[in-house]
Amino acid sequence: MIHFKNVIKTYPPNIVGIRNVSLHIRPGEFVSIVGQSGTGKSTLAKLMFAEETATSGQIAIGGWDITRISQHDVPMLRRQIGVVFQDFKLLPRKTVFENVAFALEVSGTPNRRIKEIVPQVLKIVNLHDKGDRYPKQLSGGEQQRVVVARSLVHRPKILVADEPTGNLDAIHTHEIIDLLKKINEFGTTVVLVTHNREVVNALKKRVITVDDGQITSDVEEGRYKI
Amino acid sequence: MLTSSIRSIRFAFQSFGRNFWLSLITVSMLALTLVTVNLLLVLQIVATKAVSFAEERIEVSVYFHSGTTEDRIKGASGYLQGLPQVRDVQVITAEEALARFKERHAADATILAALDEVGGSPFGPTLVIKGKSADDIPLILESLDNPQFRDDIREKDFSSYEDIVNRIRATTERVRLFGIGLAAVFLLIAILIVFNTVRIALFVHREEIAIMKLVGATNAFVRSPFLIECFLYSLLAVGIVAGIVFPVVAAIDPGLSAFFGGESVGLLVYFQKNWLPIFGIQLAALTVINMVSTTLAMRKYLKV
Repeated sequence: MIHFKNVIKTYPPNIVGIRNVSLHIRPGEFVSIVGQSGTGKSTLAKLMFAEETATSGQIAIGGWDITRISQHDVPMLRRQIGVVFQDFKLLPRKTVFENVAFALEVSGTPNRRIKEIVPQVLKIVNLHDKGDRYPKQLSGGEQQRVVVARSLVHRPKILVADEPTGNLDAIHTHEIIDLLKKINEFGTTVVLVTHNREVVNALKKRVITVDDGQITSDVEEGRYKI
Repeated sequence: MLTSSIRSIRFAFQSFGRNFWLSLITVSMLALTLVTVNLLLVLQIVATKAVSFAEERIEVSVYFHSGTTEDRIKGASGYLQGLPQVRDVQVITAEEALARFKERHAADATILAALDEVGGSPFGPTLVIKGKSADDIPLILESLDNPQFRDDIREKDFSSYEDIVNRIRATTERVRLFGIGLAAVFLLIAILIVFNTVRIALFVHREEIAIMKLVGATNAFVRSPFLIECFLYSLLAVGIVAGIVFPVVAAIDPGLSAFFGGESVGLLVYFQKNWLPIFGIQLAALTVINMVSTTLAMRKYLKV
């Protein structure tokens, strides 16, 4: 599903983000990528949805080589991957419904379908009664649930969550992780980038540890160990 | 395609309404810019009117020898009227010239007594010639050297006008150059204002643009609502300016006519007759500048 082969990412002038990383994530897996701040785990996530491009090596998503993906093809890739960000990245002047619908509108989904799908997805994240609210009228946990709903709405095969609980308290963190687990149970591959020890340990799933831009361990039912 | 277009239009209206204060500031800036452009246009019309008003008053008086026959005067008058440079020729007979002289010096008994002593009219007939423009006067004067009636002419009163003609020519040229220079400066300022207004508006939206790209929107899908919004801003700005210009022009038009001896400048009529090209060109230019500025300013925000 996700394949990295000898991937290197450097930033000008000569800062190394990722050093020669190779990894393979299978369909339907729930993988946590852990590591301290600045070790390169977010860079790994950004490479998956082409917010960054690799300096060298090869990246394939669902058999599609995206290493040298053109600007024209980037939207197509992003419509197939759901992304959840730490800072939510909701459109502030759109309502909850419109934020979720926007992910479908960009791909030309008809309005009739949008009116069917969005309420269903909002129900999954338990926000069906808050569709007409603006993001600033929601709590942090609710905003993150909107982001999850937006990432789910086009039924992606892969969901990349980059520090999704970074700005949330314990209760909301638990809610979001439960949601991600539920999404994974439906068959979506979930890549969770986090440095939350409790979350990783409670998941009892595959854990990839990144340190100084390199994978230092990759354990099937792993724990947070740095 | 149709769905995307309808969505872009809806997003543009949504953004316009939900960013009301930003929209208001942007429209105000654009409207102020257009006000200066229209002010320049008004100045240009008034300057042109002032020049033509002065030119209309330039005339050449040709004094014929006393005793020149009416036929010869008519012949000269007809010849001059046939010239394309001549707007009007007025014939003043010897009797009319005497009557005018007497009227002018009605209070001066000495002059009137002297005239009585001379007996009859000491004046010859006169032709008062008006050219179509200041540039035509030298040609008219040249044509008076025609051998047909050259010898009948006693005096051509043109020397004093030569200076006026030259001065008007120089003034007209200066006004024209000043107008072009001022228009260029205003245009540059207008472009800079519009460009910076658009940049500020887009700076406010930069995070939204990045988010749209991250959820899979194409550059065109992100850009088009902003371009439609540009058109909305331009349309509203031109509408507001038209709403300001017409009443202002209607108010100042009668006042301006006082400067031109009661003759109307035709400012309101000009705007009424040419409202479509005037405001159409302004709308087109503003929209193009707006869209180019938006496209340029958006480029870096779209690189996500």
